[in-house]
Amino acid sequence: MSRPAPVTASRPSGHALRAEGIAKAFVSGKVRTQVLDDLSLTIDAGELTLISGPSGCGKSTLLAILSGLQKVDAGRVIALGSELGELDSRALERFRLLHTGFVFQGFNLFPALSGLEQVELPLHYLGLSGRQARERAAQSLDEVGMTPRMHLRPSELSGGEKQRVAIARALAKRPELLFADEPTSALDAANGQTIIDILHRIARTHGTTVLCVSHDPRLIRHADRVLSMEDGRILSDQRPAPPAATPEGTAP
Amino acid sequence: MVALARKTLVYEWRRFLPAILAVGFAGLLQLLQAALVLGIFSSASVYITGSSADLWVGYPGTQSVSLGRPIDPDVEMRLRMDPAVAHVEPFYWVDADWRGAHDTGGESVYVTGIDTRADGLMFSRTLPPALRARLAEPDAVIVDRADVDKLGVKVGDTAVINGRRVRVVGESSGLRALGGVNVVTSLDTARQLDNDPTDLGRPTYLVARLRDPAQADAVAARLRGDKGFGPYDVWTARTFARRSVLYWMLDTGAGAGVVFLAGIVFLVGAVITSQTLMAAVAGSVREYATLNALGVGVGNLRWVVLEQAFWVGAIGLLGATLLGVLLLVAARSQDVPVVLNIPITLLCVALAMALAAVSGLVAMRSLRRADPASLLR
Repeated sequence: MSRPAPVTASRPSGHALRAEGIAKAFVSGKVRTQVLDDLSLTIDAGELTLISGPSGCGKSTLLAILSGLQKVDAGRVIALGSELGELDSRALERFRLLHTGFVFQGFNLFPALSGLEQVELPLHYLGLSGRQARERAAQSLDEVGMTPRMHLRPSELSGGEKQRVAIARALAKRPELLFADEPTSALDAANGQTIIDILHRIARTHGTTVLCVSHDPRLIRHADRVLSMEDGRILSDQRPAPPAATPEGTAP
Repeated sequence: MVALARKTLVYEWRRFLPAILAVGFAGLLQLLQAALVLGIFSSASVYITGSSADLWVGYPGTQSVSLGRPIDPDVEMRLRMDPAVAHVEPFYWVDADWRGAHDTGGESVYVTGIDTRADGLMFSRTLPPALRARLAEPDAVIVDRADVDKLGVKVGDTAVINGRRVRVVGESSGLRALGGVNVVTSLDTARQLDNDPTDLGRPTYLVARLRDPAQADAVAARLRGDKGFGPYDVWTARTFARRSVLYWMLDTGAGAGVVFLAGIVFLVGAVITSQTLMAAVAGSVREYATLNALGVGVGNLRWVVLEQAFWVGAIGLLGATLLGVLLLVAARSQDVPVVLNIPITLLCVALAMALAAVSGLVAMRSLRRADPASLLR
């Protein structure tokens, strides 16, 4: 498996994401549920940050807000120096196109397309030529070890393989920010481990800021930083000792 | 570019099949309906389209060939005086009562008296020379193949028209009349059969061939102005044929019926097609939402849906065309009057594609559910 050179030579320092006093509530009929209340945090660039917590603690909402998929009721989010609240929906789409990648729990692959085409598709909208898009897609698939199976459709792939294609799709855009929502919870232990390794390596080699939401305890060992959430607040902020087996072995 | 719309259509063809069939059958229905109506009503102008005359001269204001009134035979002189006119012949139209040899009761018939010479203009396209030569015999008539059962005769039989005995000497094809039965005779026989004393042996029409058919409009305009020969008017064959067909279409209300039915077919087709496309979009809504999360704009996603609608329309029409050709050939072989022309065919194609486009626009609304934030729950 060949590995392309990192997009940034040294890992960028500083904050990739900053949230200041954000609040979010959902109204269903007469019931108003405050999901996030006056929450502030910063996410460092080039790290794999894990947000964990029980279901309903607001971690997915936090991810949606930090990634610009949802608006806040109060407070502000600054991503890569842009305040997301000031962008209209078109500008937000443009921001996401240029800077962010997503990996979801369900793999959300088009049944009709091969792995290579799934990865190629968003690249065309970035303005890449057909050849460039194909080359970059093949490179990304190589990085997640899917080269031998990149011409197969989702129905011919295992869950782990589908998630690797989904990661390649997010990665091929070369985003500064990569958001992952429960990327391993639909997978068995071995496949889950593979996905964790890939996400970790992306943060290392590409200097990508990876923000991952999961309640999967296996992920904790691999994260650079773990935020525990409960009831819309952050309870703890830890940096676990790096596991000895990390490929690059350059934990902060 | 990855052809998402086409690849999805091919891979999930079962999902799109109802839409393809809906567009196809809507197109086919429109087309066959148009062909049938045109076919039925074009028989109102079969006297004109089956003949090689360039100009028709008749009573002013005549709305359909079947509604002619006698004109002054001297108009023929006026026509012959014009250097552009190569040949003129009279044409008789007699509404008559037919009694067949076998007991079929009375039947209204249109007796058409034509010049039976081999170079005669009337019915030159529908009556082969051998057949028209047989009309030279006194009291000989030709009836259409499609009408023999109705008239209760076969070739060689005798019948009575307006009290005068006639003999069936042949069968024509493609001379089916609208609202009656055509009986073709010679000019002399027609004059004999005409028992209306006011007609005085005057022809109903004069038809003319021009040296240069392209000049028909100009010559018709030139001949029209002369008032010295009593009331008459001149039309080009094209104008008079069109006028006759339109008269029947509007007179019977068939025109409005066609438009109404076309509207219903369009509506039903659009409902089925849009529902199917919506279901297809809904089936991939998570994938669309993921693309949107990755920054692919909603506008681009809408194009994918519209492109799908376009392909559904194109494939449906292809099927409709193949089936339509087969059905039209079958109809022709069974003497069912069907006629199609290029403008009407193009109109039907345009309607079917419009149906697909409208359905695509409706289906786009399903994309509203492709909210990427909904993937994070």
